[in-house]
Amino acid sequence: MTELFRNTLVPWQWALLALVPPAIIALYFLKLRRVPLEVPSTYLWRRTIEDLHVNSLWQRLRQNLLLFLQLLLVALAMLALLRPGWEGTKLDGERFIFLVDNSASMSATDASEAKNRLEEAKRIVGGLIDQMDSGMTAMIISFADTPQVVQEFTDNRRLLLERLASIEPSARGTDLRGALDLADGLANPGRVTVQEGGAEVDVVEAQPATIYIFSDGRFEDVKGFSLGNLEPKYVPIGTFDAKNLAITAFATRRSDAKPEERQGFVQVANLTNSPQKAVVEIEFDGDFLDAKEVELPTGETAGVVFPLADAPAGSLTAKLKYELDDGSRHDALAIDDVAYAAINNAAPGEVLVISPGNVGLDVALATERAGRLAKIRFEGLDFLTTDEYKRAAETGVYRLIIYDQCAPRSMPRANTLFIGRLPPGATWRGGIGPEDASGANPAPNKTETEAEADTKPASSRFDSAVAGPQIIDWDRAQPLMANVELGYVDIADSLVLDPPPGAAVLIDSTIGPIAAIAPRDAFQDVVLGFEIFGHEDDGSTTANTNWPRHLSFPTFWLNVLEFLGGGTEDSNLAPAHPGSPVELRPAGNATELTVVDPTGKPHTIRRGAEDVFQFYDTGRTGIYEVRRGADVIERFAVNLFDRNESDVRVRPSQDPQANSEQAADIRIGHFDVKAEAGQTPARKEAWKALLIAALFVLLAEWYIYNRRVYA
Amino acid sequence: MPTIESNLLPPDLMAQLERLELVTRKVFRGRMKGERRSKRKGQSVEFADFRGYVAGDDLRALDWNLYARLDKLIIKLFLEEEDLHFFTLIDASRSMDFGTPTKLDYAKQLAAALGFVGLIRTDRVRIETLGQDLHLRAPMLRGRKSVWRMIDFLNSIVPQENTTLAEGIKNFCLRNPGRGIVVLISDLMDKNGYESALRYLMSRQMDVYVIHVLSQEEIDPDVKGDLKLVDCEDQDTAEITVSAPLLARYKSTLNAFVSGAHEFCNKRGMNYLLANNQTPVKDLIGNYLRRRGLLR
Repeated sequence: MTELFRNTLVPWQWALLALVPPAIIALYFLKLRRVPLEVPSTYLWRRTIEDLHVNSLWQRLRQNLLLFLQLLLVALAMLALLRPGWEGTKLDGERFIFLVDNSASMSATDASEAKNRLEEAKRIVGGLIDQMDSGMTAMIISFADTPQVVQEFTDNRRLLLERLASIEPSARGTDLRGALDLADGLANPGRVTVQEGGAEVDVVEAQPATIYIFSDGRFEDVKGFSLGNLEPKYVPIGTFDAKNLAITAFATRRSDAKPEERQGFVQVANLTNSPQKAVVEIEFDGDFLDAKEVELPTGETAGVVFPLADAPAGSLTAKLKYELDDGSRHDALAIDDVAYAAINNAAPGEVLVISPGNVGLDVALATERAGRLAKIRFEGLDFLTTDEYKRAAETGVYRLIIYDQCAPRSMPRANTLFIGRLPPGATWRGGIGPEDASGANPAPNKTETEAEADTKPASSRFDSAVAGPQIIDWDRAQPLMANVELGYVDIADSLVLDPPPGAAVLIDSTIGPIAAIAPRDAFQDVVLGFEIFGHEDDGSTTANTNWPRHLSFPTFWLNVLEFLGGGTEDSNLAPAHPGSPVELRPAGNATELTVVDPTGKPHTIRRGAEDVFQFYDTGRTGIYEVRRGADVIERFAVNLFDRNESDVRVRPSQDPQANSEQAADIRIGHFDVKAEAGQTPARKEAWKALLIAALFVLLAEWYIYNRRVYA
Repeated sequence: MPTIESNLLPPDLMAQLERLELVTRKVFRGRMKGERRSKRKGQSVEFADFRGYVAGDDLRALDWNLYARLDKLIIKLFLEEEDLHFFTLIDASRSMDFGTPTKLDYAKQLAAALGFVGLIRTDRVRIETLGQDLHLRAPMLRGRKSVWRMIDFLNSIVPQENTTLAEGIKNFCLRNPGRGIVVLISDLMDKNGYESALRYLMSRQMDVYVIHVLSQEEIDPDVKGDLKLVDCEDQDTAEITVSAPLLARYKSTLNAFVSGAHEFCNKRGMNYLLANNQTPVKDLIGNYLRRRGLLR
C-alpha cells in the first residue's frame, strides 16, 4: 500500500510552522528595520513608488520576487516535512523486529543495488525504518552463528538507522534459532511458573510483533521453535545464480609414503551451475611455493595435494585463482578464496612411560613413527617416588604419562593412561573405591596405602579382576580406536570399570566396560582394565592378552600418541571456524600467553579455570600466532570451511506451482515462512530532492538580493 | 565703480555682470523714467512715429516742417524711456536647504547676480520669498547704491518657510500688481504640483523665468538598502527598498518631472531653466541665461 504523504509532525508543530509564511509576509510589508533618511522631498520618491501602488496587487507582488522566493522556500520545506514518496510498503503493526543476517555468505557481492548482500539488507531495513510512523517501535538483531542485539525496542528512527549502519559483515556461519530465541525473549514477556508443575502465567499480556528476517536462507530449518505471537516475514537477499568457488578444506600432514616429507591438501568446491577451472596457489610465509590447476565439475569438489618437502614452522596460504565461465575473475564471495594452515615447530610431545617392564609396549612405542610423534621416556616404578617425577607431574612437562600396572598418589597435570590399575581417588570407583572405603574424602589416609600399593605391583589386581572377559564391542568412532580391530583379541582377566560421568567406554565386554576414556579438567584419562604383561609376585611375567600379537596393538598406541601425547607439528587442533573459541594447551606452566591475530593485534589471555587457555577473538580468518614472551610457540589457522556459507546461491523454491524466481521458504518450527515476493520495495522519498531545491531557491534569493541592492 | 565683497557676489562675477543687462521680450510700463525704452510714446530724443493731430494734443509735438510742406497738422511721436520691474522670487522652503551648496544658497547667489545686473541698469529690483506675508513687501531697490541692501536682504533669508508654491506665488502676485520680469527660483517640489502656481504668474502676463534648482543628490541619489524616507517639510514618509530597478524608475520619474515642467513652461511662454547646484553661478549666468535671453 502506498500513500503520497507521510506526516512527520504533530499538530501543534504544524500550527507553529503554519505561522511562518504569514510572518514572512508581515515582515516583508512591515519592513521593520528600515533606516530613516531625511530627504528634501518625498515628492519624486512617492511618484516613483506610486506606480507600484497604483498597479494591481499582482503588480506589486511581481516586484517582490524575494518574498516569493522566501515563501517558496518555506513551502518546499513544509512539503519535505510531509515526506512525499511512493512505492513504499506500509508497515502493519506496532512492534517490529528486524533480524539482519551478517554471516559470511552475506558478504557476497551479488546484490543489485548495494556493495554486498548485507548492505542491501541494511538498505531495505533502512527503508522500512524510514516508514515507521510515530508510535511504532522496532528492534534490530544481527545474527550469524550467535545473535547480537544491535538496538533494543525504540521508536527513535535516527537511533535505529545509526545502529543499523553499525552492523558489520562477519566470517561466521548462520544460526537463525539463536536470533529467534533472543527476539522471542525480548518481544514476548517473560513467563512465570507460579507453582512447580503449575501452569505458566504470562506476566504481561503478550503483544504481537512482526519479525522481518533478512537473510540469504543459507541455514538449517529451525526445529522446535514456537513463534508464539511473532509474525515472521522472510525477505530473501541475493540471487539464484551467484557463482562461487570455495576452498572447503586445507590441511597439512606427513606423507604416509615418505614420512620425512610433508604434504598440503586443498579441497576446492565448485558452487556454480557450470563446470569451472581454477588454479590453487600455495604460499609459505608470503612466498610463492607452488600452483596447481584443478578441474571442477558442476557442484563437485576436487582435491589437490602439494608436496611441501620439509617445511619449517610457518604459515601456509592457499589461494584460489580462476576465471569463471563468464570471464569474471571475482566470484560472489571472496572470503573463501583464501585458506590458511599453520605448521608448528616439530617439537614432539614428551611421553613418560612408567612400567615394571612391558615388552609389548616397548616394541609398540619403538617404531619410527611413534618416535616422530612423541619423545618417549621409559622409567621403572621407582621413578614414581623421585622428586623429578613430582616436579614433572606438577609442572606438566609431559603430555602423556602411561602408568603400567601402577598408579600415582595424585593425578599429574598431564593426560594419563592406566594399564591394569585404576587412577587414584574415588572418581573411577563409583565414589567408593575397592581399595579405599573412606568414600568421598579419601585424601588423609590414602597417601600411605597408595604409596605402598604403588611399590607393590599387582598387589590388588585381583581384588575386582574378573576372569575371561569376551570383547563385545569397541567404539570405532573414538579417535583412539581408529583402525583398531579387536576381533580376535583374548583377555585373561580384567578389572571391570565404573567410568565417571562424562566418560566414554572404549571397549565393552561380557563382564562390563574394560577400557574407557574420561576427561579431567583439561586432560584425558584412559584406563585399560586389563594388563598386557602381568607381573606376578615372584617377578615372573605372564601374558594377560594376545593383543600385542595383533596389528591393532601398535595402531592403538600410535593413536594414543597422536591423540593424547602427540606434538603440535601439524595443525593438530581441530580446524577453527571464525567465532568459535580455540583451546590452547601449551607445555609448561606459563600463566599468560599472547595471541596475535591476522591483523597484527595482540590479545593477552590467561590460563582458565580448567587449566587451558581459551581464545575467543577468532572473528577473522587467517593465521593466529600464539606467543609466550617474544617466542612464537604455536600457530593456528581460522578458516571459513563452511559449505553452507560458501554456497551463496539462494535456494529456489521447490514448489512446482511457484514462480521459478521464487526463493525457497524457510521453516521455523512447523511453520513455513514464505519468501516475500521480490524484495520489499523501499519507499522512494522526495524530501531530499525538495530540500536541495529549497537550497537552490535560497541561493537564487541571495543572488537576487545582492544584485538588487549592490548592482 | 565700488567693489563689493560678498559670498553672494564675488568680484569676478560682478565684473562679468557689469557688462550685462536684463532683457525682456515684452515691453512694460515703468513708473519712472529709466534706461529702457517704453512702449509708451513720450518725451525722449528717440523718434517713434507720426500721427494726425487731434484736439487736445500737445502743440509742442506738432511737426512744423511737415505742416509747412503738407499743410496738415501732424504730431511727432517720440519713444519714452522707462525703467523695468525685476522681481526675483526665491523658494525658501526647507526642502531648499539640501545639497552642497544648498539649493537655497545657490538660489541666493543667482538672485544676487541677477539683482546686481538690474541695479546697475537702474531697474527696479525687488527680491521676495514665497513665504512672505501678504502685506509685508520687500523693499524696492534701485541703483547701484542699493547692492548692499540687496545682499543684506538675501543674507537674511533662512530656509524655514512652509508655504505651498501656489499660495506663495498668489501672494506675490497680490503684493506686486505691476508687470515686469519674474524669476522664480525653486525646486518645484510641491506635493500639490507647480502647475497652478505658474498659472498665477502667467495670468499676470509677466515675463516669467523659472529656474528649477535641483541638487546633485536629487538628480543622482546615492542611497542603499531598506530606507524610510522622511520629507523634511511635512514629515511624510516613503518606504523604499533601494534596488537598481527602483533607482532607474526614480530617474525616469525625475526626467518626466523635469521635462514635464519644461514643456509646461514652454507652452505657456515661460522660460524654463534647469540648474544643477553643481553648476557655478557664473557659468549659468554667462552661458545659459544669456542664451535664454534673460540677459544681454
